[in-house]
Amino acid sequence: MRTAVALAISLLTGAAVAYAQGPTDAQIASIVVTANQVDIDAGKLAREKASNPQVRKFAEQMITDHTGVNKSATELVTKLGVTPQDNPTSQALKAGGDKNLAKLRGLDSAAFDKAYIDHEVAYHQQVLDAVDQTLIPSAKNAELKALLVKVRPAFVAHLEHAKQLRASLGGM
Amino acid sequence: MNHPQPSGRSARPASWRALPLAAAIVFAAAAALTLPIEPAGAQAKKRKPATHTVVMEGTSFEPAALTVTLGDTVEWVNRDFFPHTATAGGVFDSAIILAGKSWTYTPQKKGEIEYICTLHPTMTGTLTVK
Repeated sequence: MRTAVALAISLLTGAAVAYAQGPTDAQIASIVVTANQVDIDAGKLAREKASNPQVRKFAEQMITDHTGVNKSATELVTKLGVTPQDNPTSQALKAGGDKNLAKLRGLDSAAFDKAYIDHEVAYHQQVLDAVDQTLIPSAKNAELKALLVKVRPAFVAHLEHAKQLRASLGGM
Repeated sequence: MNHPQPSGRSARPASWRALPLAAAIVFAAAAALTLPIEPAGAQAKKRKPATHTVVMEGTSFEPAALTVTLGDTVEWVNRDFFPHTATAGGVFDSAIILAGKSWTYTPQKKGEIEYICTLHPTMTGTLTVK
């Protein structure tokens, strides 16, 4: 446990050092693809396990929307000749996603629905913060920046949708 | 002491005499201008219905507020990477419009219609039919 915490801290410190001047476009490409894939994977699990029909519908939409964004992002970086480069942020996103999946696999029915939606609220907020504070300001290629600007409002809509579901499930 | 008559006095009746002519010219000009206006007005009433486009991009409707004339058609074009809808409860519903696809609707009556994307409720628009 102590090792895990130490590792997490060193990863975060590493991220801060690596991003002193912001991530490169290749790193941003990797962060975008990973962030979308993490939400697609959670959505696929929720599509199978969620008991509330509204939650299942939301999960279905997350798969559709984030798959659409990833398809476009992949087409763009291919066109630009950019190879997504793994980096501490994309690694942390993947690790966080895996941890969330492990937790969700151990839950059922209403407890699953609540945990999935709670995480969706927090996750979309986290991704939006990254988009606003790091990704959009750091993106150098105009088309990559434009893609981030174009998809940002969808993440806001997802966040609002998830918050409405959380309220209807009797959450916070 | 005899004051001389104001010099303008003789000129005044002269310009009065010219008035009817000037009036006739003005009337003729007005008539000439009026004539072609009427057919143009009639044409406007029988104008061809227009098609308006609302672009769905960046998870928003552009323009968010659109005014059309009854008989016109509105086309929603989805330029985002994922599906949207244009839905006004009880009035119209596009159902799913896939990325790159479009949907058209011809309003049947006048009024102001508020609509949303049911998938992204932050997306709102207004269609005014007059």
